[in-house]
Amino acid sequence: MNSVIRVTCVADADGRLTFGLPLPAPDSAHLLLKARPRKGVPDPAARRLQLEDAGDGRALAVLEPLPVLEEGRWDAFLVREPDAEPQQLTSGPLDLRVLVDGARADRPSPVAVRIPYRALDGFLAVRAWLRPAHAEAGPIEVGDKATAVTARLHGTELGEDAVVRLRGRRSREERTVSPSVDADGRGFRFTVDHADLTGGGVRYWDVHVLPTPDAAPVRVGRVLDDVADRKHSFVYAAAPHGSRLVRPYYTVDNDLSFEVTDPG
Amino acid sequence: MKISFLLHNAYAIGGTITTTFNLAGALAERHDVEIVSVLRSRERPPLTLDPRVRLRPLVDLREEQDHPAHREPARVFPAAEGRHREYSRLTDERIAAHLAGTDAEVVIGTRPGLNVHLARQAPDRVLRVGQEHLTWDHHSRRLRTVLRRAYRDLDLITTVTDADARAYRRGTWLPGVRVEALPNSVPDPELPPAGGDSRLIVAAGRLVPMKDYDTLIRAFAHVAAAHPDWRLRIYGRGEERDRLRALIQRLGLSDHAFLMGAAVPMESEWVKASIATASSTFEPFGMTIVEAMRCGLPVVSTDCAHGPREIIQDGVDGRLVPVGDPDAFGAALLDLVRDDERRRTMGKSALANARRYAPEAVVARAERLLAHALAAKRAGRRPPGEPGSGRRRLTAAKQSAHDLAYTAAASAVRTVRGWRR
Repeated sequence: MNSVIRVTCVADADGRLTFGLPLPAPDSAHLLLKARPRKGVPDPAARRLQLEDAGDGRALAVLEPLPVLEEGRWDAFLVREPDAEPQQLTSGPLDLRVLVDGARADRPSPVAVRIPYRALDGFLAVRAWLRPAHAEAGPIEVGDKATAVTARLHGTELGEDAVVRLRGRRSREERTVSPSVDADGRGFRFTVDHADLTGGGVRYWDVHVLPTPDAAPVRVGRVLDDVADRKHSFVYAAAPHGSRLVRPYYTVDNDLSFEVTDPG
Repeated sequence: MKISFLLHNAYAIGGTITTTFNLAGALAERHDVEIVSVLRSRERPPLTLDPRVRLRPLVDLREEQDHPAHREPARVFPAAEGRHREYSRLTDERIAAHLAGTDAEVVIGTRPGLNVHLARQAPDRVLRVGQEHLTWDHHSRRLRTVLRRAYRDLDLITTVTDADARAYRRGTWLPGVRVEALPNSVPDPELPPAGGDSRLIVAAGRLVPMKDYDTLIRAFAHVAAAHPDWRLRIYGRGEERDRLRALIQRLGLSDHAFLMGAAVPMESEWVKASIATASSTFEPFGMTIVEAMRCGLPVVSTDCAHGPREIIQDGVDGRLVPVGDPDAFGAALLDLVRDDERRRTMGKSALANARRYAPEAVVARAERLLAHALAAKRAGRRPPGEPGSGRRRLTAAKQSAHDLAYTAAASAVRTVRGWRR
């Protein structure tokens, strides 16, 4: 059995990722990034990265900012020889400090994000988002009757008639609210009345913004920093409404949704 | 030297296991080192062990859980020890056989019950070293009574702080037994140190009452109120999670203070921060303080017993504040939040000062302690002034006299206390 190989990864501000392996002589070895298979996608994408001797007992592989990665989770493997069986790489220390304040800069379209992370099984993976435009959620204030969300649009601009739309998951129900839009056409803020969400049988509401009423909806989420999975760390209070509870939350894809539950 | 560690269970995760693996790995550079794990609960240790260190289990729980002798209570492993229920006649026998047959020159126990095994069962030719990873004061009165007697047959006791070494010297009468501090080591970080420019405060540790994260969260509320662009991240899992999350929400900090879950290795998270914190009410050592300092962070910590004040120099590489005082803790945080220059200077001092916990520094001290103790033992200077072979009988007589006196005193104290109640 092969022993564990620990890989380090350094992210820089323009999206470049540099992987480091304890491999003094890379020879014909390369690093393989493989998209995790998803339902309905028969042939997952893969990227081969050349490994180069760093001269200090390590071999380095660089993933340049372009071309962008497709959205999803990518696993990292070492392929020692052209036809060898890929060996999955264990995550060592990750240097992601430049990603922490990534939401401060406006992003052009398409919005492409990569966050390396240590998966639950200890292996290194890269979480990628790729969207024509993206609305980055900021502060969320859960009040007694309503929740206020502050967000910022990346990759396009908001018109004066922009619309925030909450769509019931596996349902045709929709609610719309008018955001207040900042003068720069990027920042916006909207308020969701809890009463609007609790009436019917919808449990999950997904939040989108339409920059103009006939534009493609842009998902509201939070992906522009160093946190690959925020569902269990960015957690907001649930507000009681009648006999039900309304709670904003981040999905497993870091998108913003509301959940309506019956306590007890 | 051939050195043999005796560990409760190397096949689990915990502070004692981490620090034993670190020390064993660093000693393996120049010595023949093995770890004997009394219990084995899975195929491989989850923590990384230097490949030069041999690992050998005595009882494999996966196969021997139902061994008849494993159902009978342990007699050598003291009943007053916290893990007594995990020990048995089987562990008594296996440990005894291992110690009787060992060819090591030095055996090192890593918890009180195992130190008692060494004291009672390791042959006289072996240097018997008992390590204390908690503190003397932390143990129950019952256990301390057992240890006072048993530890006389050790050659060396190591604590993780000087304060605890003093507590041992005060609380015991152990003629000829050296008691010395040997701090935990923290491996050299692989990443460049933190830059001190981020607006992020980081803490790490299990979410348990002893870590007093209530105080930290309330202290951080002062920071968030004055500097809303600062964030607090707490790494770790534990029983207090939901309660702490409710506190965060009640204080309106849901977008400022985050319970992040566990992170491995923590190094990836420390380097993102510019201030680290430790808010415990009790900390035998303070491993996360050293980890953070080795990544170049100044640490604001409570001044609890025993570790923090031996690691941090108040005002130089961190701050020490009273236990359980959110206002004082918050003021210390604000001082560093507001003064970029001071924060960076203290971070640099932390980086330099924490090098004394690098593996090579700690292992050098361990080697000196072991070499001195071995030399003293070979010269028969145990107990001092009584060279040669007669010492065991003599000390045994002295010991029992002392024990009798002590037991009488202890029961008198108990009686008085019981009477008062």
